[in-house]
Amino acid sequence: MNAPTRDLAHSADAKTAEEGLAAENMSGPVDSKMATDVAMQNTLLTPRFYTTDFDELDAIDVSPVRAEWDQLIARMKADPNKGHFKKNADWDTVDWEGMDPKLRAEFIDFLISSCTAEFSGCVLYKEMKRRGKNEDVTGLFQLMARDEARHAGFINDALREAGIAVNLGFLTQAKKYTYFRPKFIYYATYLSEKIGYARYITIYRHLEAHPEKRFHPIFKWFREWCNDEFSHGEAFALLMRTDPKITQSWQNKLWIKFFLTAVFSTMWVRDHQRPAFHEALDVDPAWYGQEVFRKTSEISKQVFPLTLDIDNPRWRRGLDRLDRANREIAAAKRQGGVRGKLRQWAGSAKAGAAFLGLLSIPSQRNEVPDTSRLEPAY
Amino acid sequence: MGLITREKETAPCTVTISHRFEELSAHVRLNNGAVVNPGDTVEVQGPEIMAAYGEVVSEDRTAVITRASRLEQLWTRATGDLEFMELCEFSFSEEALQ
Repeated sequence: MNAPTRDLAHSADAKTAEEGLAAENMSGPVDSKMATDVAMQNTLLTPRFYTTDFDELDAIDVSPVRAEWDQLIARMKADPNKGHFKKNADWDTVDWEGMDPKLRAEFIDFLISSCTAEFSGCVLYKEMKRRGKNEDVTGLFQLMARDEARHAGFINDALREAGIAVNLGFLTQAKKYTYFRPKFIYYATYLSEKIGYARYITIYRHLEAHPEKRFHPIFKWFREWCNDEFSHGEAFALLMRTDPKITQSWQNKLWIKFFLTAVFSTMWVRDHQRPAFHEALDVDPAWYGQEVFRKTSEISKQVFPLTLDIDNPRWRRGLDRLDRANREIAAAKRQGGVRGKLRQWAGSAKAGAAFLGLLSIPSQRNEVPDTSRLEPAY
Repeated sequence: MGLITREKETAPCTVTISHRFEELSAHVRLNNGAVVNPGDTVEVQGPEIMAAYGEVVSEDRTAVITRASRLEQLWTRATGDLEFMELCEFSFSEEALQ
């Protein structure tokens, strides 16, 4: 299909490379490198597709938490954040050209990863809404899909300003569906939403105190954005509380400890791989990591029967070992060849050992309260 | 369903894309009630579907569902959970940037 070339203000609006090159922001001499850049700045979103045990989801009975459930759903339906995701005068101009290239690369990685995550969340929630029959559950997933699609649209707009268009070509590619048990979806998404809240609010509060470090206006929207994450987490907390076995059986306690350790340590490693981003915000990634873990642990006491002992000296040592092993793996990948491969295996073995070390730190018991409802307080 | 053989079937489907400021989303709905199981692969036929910025596009297409063999389905059920980290959001991609 050959669409006629339209007059565009920005190459990010283009459907074809020709249109992209004809856009106003591309005026000036065009060489082959620029043409490649236009093509490359088309970022393919690659969400994953999941299926789960829909009978088990349908069997959820929210009666034990009915009062809290209805309150939460009513609030989400009222949609207090509806008007929030709009660009207003607070959205100041971004100097993309003048941005340090390293910072630019890391920040764009941040935007694309965040957009993909919101987008994938939307796909997962929508699928659960469509396949389920339990009205309480499908109603919740519909509302969460709405929020995620809204966040994705907002980040997409910031990407377009940077001249990057998302490509939804995955829709016509073969998609393999993997499988998660419902409880794994609860643990992972609960933690993801709550840690997301803690991450965003910690940056927001930091920039409130140091506005001169705010190098992009999107940070100003973090507070309301993370309030959505917070209430999604509340919903998963309630889902887990409908059946005590999900959090209280000894196998599941082990799973929860495993999830907490895996999620916290992955966050630590990934943040430490983005020095320019954290330097620009004037945030020490180690301080930031511990701060986010502390908030997430405190919040997760609403539903998890244990918290990780993040003040244990072995915790920080283990994270540092994991970070070093991860750097070795990255260097070995760049090196390539047989020696690179061997170094990569050695790095993976060290990372595995460091992770097992973290996992072996005794956790702290927590008595889960009778009601779980929390308000965003940080 | 065979133990190791895969079967293919087609299903009419609707692809909806919203590429707007207030909503970025894309979904495929199978219109004949076909159910996708663990390990199955779904491929929407035809050229890439694009929505320009500001548009909502909805197109009826045909999807080919490749059914996983019995073994593949068991394998996906047993191992799918291990990919749980994909459900978590970390703000940054896995790769080191150079």
